[in-house]
Amino acid sequence: MKTLPTGQYIPGDSFLHQLEARAKISCLFLLIAAVLGASSFWGYALVLATISTLLLLSGLPIRGAVAPVRRISWFLLIILLMNALFFEGEAVLASWGIFHLSRGGIEQGFRVVGNLVLILILGNLLTMTTLPTQVTTALESLIKPLKLIGVPTEEVAIIISVAIQFIPTLLEETELIKMTQIARGARFESKKLSERAASFLPLVVPIFISSFRRAEELSLAMEARGYRKARNRTKPKKAPLAPADYTALIVCALICLIQLLWRG
Amino acid sequence: MSIKIEKLSYSYTLPSGEKVEALKDITCSIETGDFVGIMGPTGCGKTTFIQLLAGLRSPTGGRIYLDGEDINVRGYDRNRLRRTVGVVFQNPEYQLFAATVEKDVAFGLKYNGLSRSEVTGRVRWALETMGFDFEKVRAQSPLALSGGEKRRVAIAGVIATKPKILIFDEPIAGLDPYGRRNFLQFIRGMNQTGTTVIMVSHNLEALAEYTRHLLVLEQGRLIDSGPTREVFARLQQRNNGAFGQTEAQRIVALLAEGNLALSSAIITYDDLLSALKQELNGGGAG
Ligand SMILES: Nc1ncnc2c1ncn2[C@@H]1O[C@H](COP(=O)(O)OP(=O)(O)O)[C@@H](O)[C@H]1O
Ligand SMILES: [Mg+2]
Repeated sequence: MKTLPTGQYIPGDSFLHQLEARAKISCLFLLIAAVLGASSFWGYALVLATISTLLLLSGLPIRGAVAPVRRISWFLLIILLMNALFFEGEAVLASWGIFHLSRGGIEQGFRVVGNLVLILILGNLLTMTTLPTQVTTALESLIKPLKLIGVPTEEVAIIISVAIQFIPTLLEETELIKMTQIARGARFESKKLSERAASFLPLVVPIFISSFRRAEELSLAMEARGYRKARNRTKPKKAPLAPADYTALIVCALICLIQLLWRG
Repeated sequence: MSIKIEKLSYSYTLPSGEKVEALKDITCSIETGDFVGIMGPTGCGKTTFIQLLAGLRSPTGGRIYLDGEDINVRGYDRNRLRRTVGVVFQNPEYQLFAATVEKDVAFGLKYNGLSRSEVTGRVRWALETMGFDFEKVRAQSPLALSGGEKRRVAIAGVIATKPKILIFDEPIAGLDPYGRRNFLQFIRGMNQTGTTVIMVSHNLEALAEYTRHLLVLEQGRLIDSGPTREVFARLQQRNNGAFGQTEAQRIVALLAEGNLALSSAIITYDDLLSALKQELNGGGAG
């Protein structure tokens, strides 16, 4: 059974844990840009090397850091197939009706799935080494400039960080509901695709309902605890960025830049 | 359907790689047709234990035999296991999903190889057992029912497969006294028709009155097991009853302080009542 919850903060004092949250989030965006920008063999080699280094620097167990990838492996496979079969690329290898299997399509599929996997791992590295409250505060100060054009930045920051905190709860609940339905006969692990597909609804409907219930509970709890408008809250003092934060930012910016140059 | 559990242990692995030992070296057995209670403080491993019994997790150590067959060996028919063992989890209402009550209750019967009319018969029986008027609820959406009704529909969905072993995880938590009594009577009824019942509960009165055997867990270990009365009597000795004392036992202890010594075998209110009656009739003011 898969029992590993993901997306949760794991206390530690690694290099990644010690980076300031604002610096970490900015680095995350730079690296996501680098992943999306990678187009050549060397481009991918560079982002792979970067992510491997980060994994080592995080001091996290590899299994935990890549767990979200394993969880959605089915979804990734579907994306791969869709791209391979529907993408109208060159060098068609075979066709069946509307499906065209082409080399271009296969490459495209692997690229999309590869990007998703790398981005998932990067995002997971952030949430595993940063407290949710730190993420909120950091996001809030990073998107502050948007306030000038009327964006309610404090609320947006809260929404994003609540969403991040929701993920582990939802995964846990999914696990429980899955077990409940298996106990009464659902066949998620069946070898027959039709039986697997038939257990889709018993899983999705309760999860949907439970997310709404959770959202309602959370909003009630926030109200009960006196949350009204963000501007009335006392805010923790912003820590200044340390030399390590600047170094990380510069390195990530360089990686991003190199990708853009390699694209030509 | 007898269950034999040998040196069972289970640990969870946290994302940090750390292991949490939820169950340690548990050995016990449960006879066919028994009514077994599981008690112990929150976090002692009760839920994990029943998930293992139902084959929903694989043990990290030890074995579970159902009628002599190890349920965790390769090739054991898991689907048969699902039909044999029914589990009512905490908050069973969260499992509802279908468009109508009838379809939801019938979900577990999908692969049972029953004919259409047999399925309807089963669904009718399950809903009526749970106190519904079948014709009235069958076409309703289970999600539009009240909280208590949802719970009963969910349980109907579990008993519809007529499992030989029924497991309940804290079924009466959150019920009012009336609902609690009704529910316990229902469980007793299932037990009297031959179903082996395993019930996790924090309600010591319910355990004392309804179960025949008890398993007591503490921090993942089985610290006591045996006939319910004997276990309660022993628990009273342990830590002077700080853990696992029924209200009736507490009253007996208080009376003893007031120089009214009653039998130490008193566990339930009924015991207490008859002992007091005897005391009044026999001893008078003495
Ligand atoms: N999914 C899980 N991941 C990690 N630890 C868990 C998980 N579920 C339960 N535990 C831990 O295992 C122990 C036993 O839990 P549980 O079986 O739920 O106890 P109970 O039902 O008696 O309250 C507890 O320490 C709990 O924190
Ligand atoms: Mg529990």
